[in-house]
Amino acid sequence: MIDFQLTAADEKVLSSAHEQAIIGRRYARYYDKHEDELEPAEFPEAKDLPNPITLAEEGLSGSSGTRILHSLVMLEIYWGGIALHRSKWGLGNTVLKTVATPEQFEKWKNHTIAIAITEPGAGSDPANIRTTATFDRETGEWILNGEKIFISQAQSGDAAMVLSRFIAPDGSRGMTTFIVEKGTPGFTVGPQLRKLGIRSHDTCNLLFENCRIPEFNHIKGDFKSTMSVFNDSRPMVGAMALGVARAALDFTREKLAERGIKVSYRGGMRSRSAVVDRFIRLEAIYEAALLTVLRSKWLEQQAVPPKVEASIAKAAGGKAARKITQGCIDLLGPEALSEDHPLDRCFRDGRIFDIYEGTGEIQRLIIARSILGYTGRDLR
Amino acid sequence: MISFQLTEEQKLAQSMVQELAISQLRPAARGADDREAIPSSILDEIWATGIIQSQGESGSYSPTLNALLLEELAVADAAFAIAAAAPIGFLGAVATQGSPAQKKNLLPLFAGDKYRCAGVAIMEPDFAFDVSSIRTSAIKTRDGYRLSGLKGLVPLAGSCSHFIVVAQCDGAADAFIVDRNTRGVTVGEKKPNIGLRALEMATVSFKDVELSSSARLGENAGCDAQRIVDSARTALSAIMTGTSRAVMEFVMPYTKERVVHGDALAKKQTIAFRLADMRIETDAMRWMTWKAASIIEQGGNATRQAHLAYTYCGENAMWIADEGVQMLGGHGYLRDNPVEMWYRDTRTVSVLEGAVGV
Repeated sequence: MIDFQLTAADEKVLSSAHEQAIIGRRYARYYDKHEDELEPAEFPEAKDLPNPITLAEEGLSGSSGTRILHSLVMLEIYWGGIALHRSKWGLGNTVLKTVATPEQFEKWKNHTIAIAITEPGAGSDPANIRTTATFDRETGEWILNGEKIFISQAQSGDAAMVLSRFIAPDGSRGMTTFIVEKGTPGFTVGPQLRKLGIRSHDTCNLLFENCRIPEFNHIKGDFKSTMSVFNDSRPMVGAMALGVARAALDFTREKLAERGIKVSYRGGMRSRSAVVDRFIRLEAIYEAALLTVLRSKWLEQQAVPPKVEASIAKAAGGKAARKITQGCIDLLGPEALSEDHPLDRCFRDGRIFDIYEGTGEIQRLIIARSILGYTGRDLR
Repeated sequence: MISFQLTEEQKLAQSMVQELAISQLRPAARGADDREAIPSSILDEIWATGIIQSQGESGSYSPTLNALLLEELAVADAAFAIAAAAPIGFLGAVATQGSPAQKKNLLPLFAGDKYRCAGVAIMEPDFAFDVSSIRTSAIKTRDGYRLSGLKGLVPLAGSCSHFIVVAQCDGAADAFIVDRNTRGVTVGEKKPNIGLRALEMATVSFKDVELSSSARLGENAGCDAQRIVDSARTALSAIMTGTSRAVMEFVMPYTKERVVHGDALAKKQTIAFRLADMRIETDAMRWMTWKAASIIEQGGNATRQAHLAYTYCGENAMWIADEGVQMLGGHGYLRDNPVEMWYRDTRTVSVLEGAVGV
């Protein structure tokens, strides 16, 4: 049955997530100003509080489902800006889970594994990557050379799942993945990147110089299986984008109300000021994008792997965060620019979601190919 | 519990209406627009599916089902969809807000096997009209009410047996059920508009119409006129979703076939990306509509959601129809192709307030 109401179980998890987001928000400005500092794996306030992501994933009875709830928890966390519990898992863990042998999984199952795909010359077109592994017959090791950029969890992670070209002993070539642990000679993590926003988000470049890797670390994820981790993460990025967008909307609504400007939905556009009309249009963008995220997550729960829908959710969320954070500053005027208020951070943080994990343009390529029945060669 | 799951019953009804829309309704759309009238055979075909009159049967009223079906009808033609949504709006208002006597007297009138029209009259023929400042008034008299005012853009006004008229009464919006044969009720000439030309929309004037107290929707209990507005906005959102889908589904094969500078139009990113945006927005429009409809169905306050859906759909449907014309170039401007009609229809639907319901 079509229904959009949260259940009591959903509400319980989300109100806990929201309470923690309010605490997290207290730290948001600090880590915005101190981008070289990693936030603690667990904040002191979180000691007695459950990780809301764990709650969502426990599949508690009466909830709207683990995937839906997880995405809504992420939205709350991004509303606050800082998670009280640092995520234990990276997208590299997803690759490990889907393609590793049982022995490999056993070895790294408790590691935080970043995913390393993007390179200086290969962002939106990862098929262009140049990082290469050659096999050393004498030692039975792989020798990895290349550079990876914009890598999340680069500093906090224990290892990286690196997408690389390979040249096998028989001369065959292709694309594959290797897990490279921190401390491996030849593997260097660069300094924190200096970004417009999401400054608390651990992001560095990785360098591999004649980095020797045992054959056991060859995870054998191919290009397709590696890229498929984004089917799950794309709508999640949409949810995160909407967390930032809602923070901007909430702040704007509150400040407008303090000045006696109330938002009413009863009349039409000719009954209200331009400011209220604009606010309602921004709110509509938020609601619309949120529903595309829920749709994608709901499909996942039906075991229908969403592809177009995952890209729709990412594209809609990314665009919503841009429009809403820019628009809210317009509505509140020059005072909204001040670092005394959260909008400047929302504006800067909100700009990432239409860029990372596949730009809005890449999402539109995926959607267009799918609805037109085109291959990657037909529509580049 | 958040769910997009259609029931088996909803799926069946949806595919039945989809089939009718493709085989009978779409082929008749252009002719109806040209002749500025919907053939009665088309109205009877829609009626024969039972989707309209069932909304007056006890326990069958379902805004989510109506939203689904109005989208399918609008994929064929927006005017036909509104011809269904007008009596649905009337029946829905009576079924959910009418007094027991009103239900008993009115609902059985719709049990026949021929299309029967009744409508909701909210809009007024006045620039800068807004639903929050209705000028039609109902003044309390000794035996009931005296209704005065003008209502515009009433679909199939000439064929309506009854109108639900939203009017100001004692400083608040209220609704009155008016038999079109009551003294003082005059249905004006049908006047063609930019779009929905087949819908025979007309102005209805109410000049000192004496109504008994039993004419007030809900009688002594009164009604919530905002719910009628919410329901209308949701129905219009469903219809805009349908027209947008029609545009998208029409331009996709065209842009794949049409070769420009050596390549199919659809293989150019500027076109492909806009097609992707059409898909993103029609999806979002549908979910916005479903959410508003489900809140109405559960008896909740849908004012915010219905308004957001209507605002979002209005803006995006217009964008999609506009792009549809553009992608066909000169052919989009010709009346040989339906996109120019969808462009006109969308401009019309996206400024309507009221007149229909889910």
